[in-house]
Amino acid sequence: MPSTDADLAVEATDLRKEYGPEVALDGVSLSISTGTVYGFLGPNGAGKTTTMRLLTGLAQPTSGTVRVCGVSVDDRRALAAHVGYLPETPPLYDEFSAREQLDYVADLRDVPRDVARERIDDYLDRFDLTEDADRRIGSYSKGMRQKTAFVQSVLHDPEVLFLDEPTSGLDPRAARRIRESIVEFADAGTTVFLSTHILPVVEAVADEVAVLFEGRLVAEGSPMDVKARAEMGESSSLEDAFLAVTSDARSAEEG
Amino acid sequence: MSLRTDVRHGGRIARAEFVRSLRGYVGSKRRLAGLAVVLLFFGGNFAFALPTAYVVGRTARSVDAIPFFAPAATAVPVVLLGLAALRTLERIGRVDAEELVLTAVHPRAVVLGLVGAELGRLAVWFGVPLAATVTAFGLGVGAPWLLLSAGVVALPLVCWAAVWGYTAGVGVLRLLRRLPGVRRVLKGAGLLVLVGFVVASQFLGRYLVADDTSVRALLSPLAFDPLTDYVALAFVGTPLARPTSPWALTVFAGLAALTPVGLAVATRQASRLWFTDTPARTDAREAKTSTGWLTPPAPFAWQPAGRIAWGVLVRTARRPQRLGHLVIVLFFVGPLGTTVVQSSREALGPLVAAAGVGLGAYLAGATFGLNPLGDDRPQMPFLLLTAADPRTLVRGRVLAGLGVGLPVAVGVPLASALVGTDPLYVAVFAATGVWMCLAAGPFAVGLGCAYPIYEEREFWGTEMVVPSTLVTVAYLFVVGGGSIVGLVATWYAVTGHLAVTPAFVAGVGVYVALTAGLSYGSYRYAIRRYRRYTLA
Repeated sequence: MPSTDADLAVEATDLRKEYGPEVALDGVSLSISTGTVYGFLGPNGAGKTTTMRLLTGLAQPTSGTVRVCGVSVDDRRALAAHVGYLPETPPLYDEFSAREQLDYVADLRDVPRDVARERIDDYLDRFDLTEDADRRIGSYSKGMRQKTAFVQSVLHDPEVLFLDEPTSGLDPRAARRIRESIVEFADAGTTVFLSTHILPVVEAVADEVAVLFEGRLVAEGSPMDVKARAEMGESSSLEDAFLAVTSDARSAEEG
Repeated sequence: MSLRTDVRHGGRIARAEFVRSLRGYVGSKRRLAGLAVVLLFFGGNFAFALPTAYVVGRTARSVDAIPFFAPAATAVPVVLLGLAALRTLERIGRVDAEELVLTAVHPRAVVLGLVGAELGRLAVWFGVPLAATVTAFGLGVGAPWLLLSAGVVALPLVCWAAVWGYTAGVGVLRLLRRLPGVRRVLKGAGLLVLVGFVVASQFLGRYLVADDTSVRALLSPLAFDPLTDYVALAFVGTPLARPTSPWALTVFAGLAALTPVGLAVATRQASRLWFTDTPARTDAREAKTSTGWLTPPAPFAWQPAGRIAWGVLVRTARRPQRLGHLVIVLFFVGPLGTTVVQSSREALGPLVAAAGVGLGAYLAGATFGLNPLGDDRPQMPFLLLTAADPRTLVRGRVLAGLGVGLPVAVGVPLASALVGTDPLYVAVFAATGVWMCLAAGPFAVGLGCAYPIYEEREFWGTEMVVPSTLVTVAYLFVVGGGSIVGLVATWYAVTGHLAVTPAFVAGVGVYVALTAGLSYGSYRYAIRRYRRYTLA
C-alpha cells in the first residue's frame, strides 16, 4: 500500500546544498515512512552528514524543503520534540557526569522530572553505565561516551531518530546493544535514520537503504532491491551491492 | 508561553554553562595554584582599595565630588558593551555541543543561556570586589544600602549592554565568516593596535607627569550628562543624592525598552550564524598543496636533530597562529620602543643592538621551547616508537628555536651598524647574542617540560595548545633578567668602564657558570622528561 503524506516521518524534496562552487548535495529527495529503519550509506565525503544536518534543521539547504513528522524543519520550536540526533562526534560535556548530562538534557527536552529520572536509571542500566554514572564524562572511554550520547538522543522518546555512525568505536557487546535498541525503537514506531559505514549493521536492521554518491542518491529501496539493482544474487552481501552501485556511479560520472 | 519556556530553558543552560566553567576553574591543581596567585595579588590590593573607598565616601559631599564620577558613569556602558562584544567574539558566539542544544531548544533560549552564564562568570570574577568596594564606600557615606540601590541601577544597564554586545559580537562573527580576508586583516590590525596602545600608554604617562596636566580636565569632555544623571540614581536616599533629572528616567526607559529589542535582534543574528554555513567550505578552501619532498636545507640537513627542527619550522610557517603566545613580548618591547625613540643618536645604535640581542634570546626559547611535551603530544605515539632518541627530539626543538632567535640576536646588532654603531660594539653584541640564544633555548625546553599544557584552547581565534602563562612569565623574568645583566655588563666592559679586577672576573665567572649550568640542567631535565614520558 503506498504511503500517504500523513504516514511520512521524513519528507525531503529536491535538496540541494552548495558551498560556493562546490555542490555537496544535488536533487536529493527522500520519503521515509513512519517506523522505518532507513540505512543511509555512502563513501566518505558523499554528503551523508550534510544531509543529516539539513534533515535536523541544523543547516539550511540552498534549495529544496524538508518536513519531519509534517513539521517544516525551519520551525525549530515545533521540530524539537519530534527529533533526536546523535552526531558522529558525541555532543557531551566533559565536566558533567553521565547522570548530570542526561538530567540536563531531560530538562531541556521538558521531560517531567520523575519520568526523566526513571528513564535515565533504566537506560543507564541497559547500557551498563550505572556503575560509572557519577564519574565525569571527561574520564569516559570512547564507547562509554557513545553510549551516553545515544541515550541522550532517545531520552525524550522522539518520533524520528537520526543516528550518525552510532556503533563507531564500540565493542561488540555495546554495538549489539545499540543495534537491538534501534530495532526496539523501530518496533515501537520510531523512525530511525541510520548513517553508517558498517554495512552488516545496516543489513541487520534496515528496512530500506539509500546509497548517496557525490551528493546524489544512486540507489534506494529495500536491501533486496538494492542488491537486485546491483545485479547481485541473494547470497551476496549489502557490502558487495554497495561497492557495485558506487562503482557504477563512478563509471557513469567518468564516462 | 514560548517566552516563559525560553527563559526557563535559558536559565537551565546558563546554570549548566556556569557550573561547567566553575568546574573548569578548579579542575586541576595547576588552575587552583593560578587562582591562589590571583587571589593573593588582588587580595593584597584590597587592603588599600577598601579603606580608600571608605575614606572617599566619608569625605564626599556630593555625587560630583566623587573623583571622576561623570566620565566613569559615561564609560561604564561603553566598556560593558565592548566587553560583551569581545567575549562574544572570543567565547560565547557559539554553544558547546551545539548539535544537542540547538536541536533541543529554541535559539532564543540558547542566547539567554549563554549571556546569563557569562554574567554569572563576570559576577564571580568582578562581582565580589565590586560589591566590597561599593559597600565600603556606602559605609563611608553612611548609606549601607548603597549596594542595593547601585545593583538596581546597574541591572538594566548590564542587561542592555549584554544583549547589544552579544548582537554586535555575533554580527562581527558573521561578517568575518563571509569575508575571511577581513579576519586576517583584523588580526594584523589588532596586533598593531596592541603595540600602539602599549607605546601610547608610555607616552601618556610621561606627558601627564611632565606637563602636570589635569586628568580630570582631559576626561571631562567625555562625560555624557544623561548617563551621569542615570547612574546618580544609585545615590537616591543617601546624603549624596541629587534631584532626579528627567534625563535619568529617559535613560532608564530607553534601557528597559531596548533590552528586549536587543534580545530579538541577537536571536535573529545568532540563528543566522548557527544555522547557515560558510559560503565556501573551509576544508575545500584550505586544501593547500605542497609538491616535492621534505628536504631540509643546510645546516638543518646535517644532523637528525636539524631535520626535526626543519619539520617544526615548516609546520609553524604553514600555521603561523602557533606563534600567538609570543605576543606577550609586545608588552615588554613597547615601553622599550619609547626609550629608543627618545634616545640620543650616540645611544641609538647600541640600544638597538642590545634590544635585538634580548629579543633574539627571548625568541630562541619561547618560540618552540615553552611547551614541548604539549606540542608533541599528538605525535608522541609515533615519536616514542621511532629510532630517534629523546635527546634528538629535544635538540630538534632547541635548534628550531635557535633558527628563529639567532638571526635576530645576530642580525639586529649587525644591522645597527647602519645607524653608526662602532664595529667593535657590533661584533661584541653579536657574540653576546649567540651566547644568550645558546643559553635560552635549552633553558626553555626544561622549563616547558616542567609544566606541560596538553589541553587545546581558543587563542587568538585558533584552537591550539599554548604554553602556561606561568611558564611564559617565568621564562621572561629569567631570560629577560639574565639578558639585562649580561648586556649591561657587556656594555660597560666594551666601553672601558669596567676594570678587570678579581671581583669582575669572579662576577663574570659566576654569571657564565649560572647561565650555562641552568641551561644545561634544564636541557638534561627535558631529555629525562621525554625519556620517561608515557601516554596517559
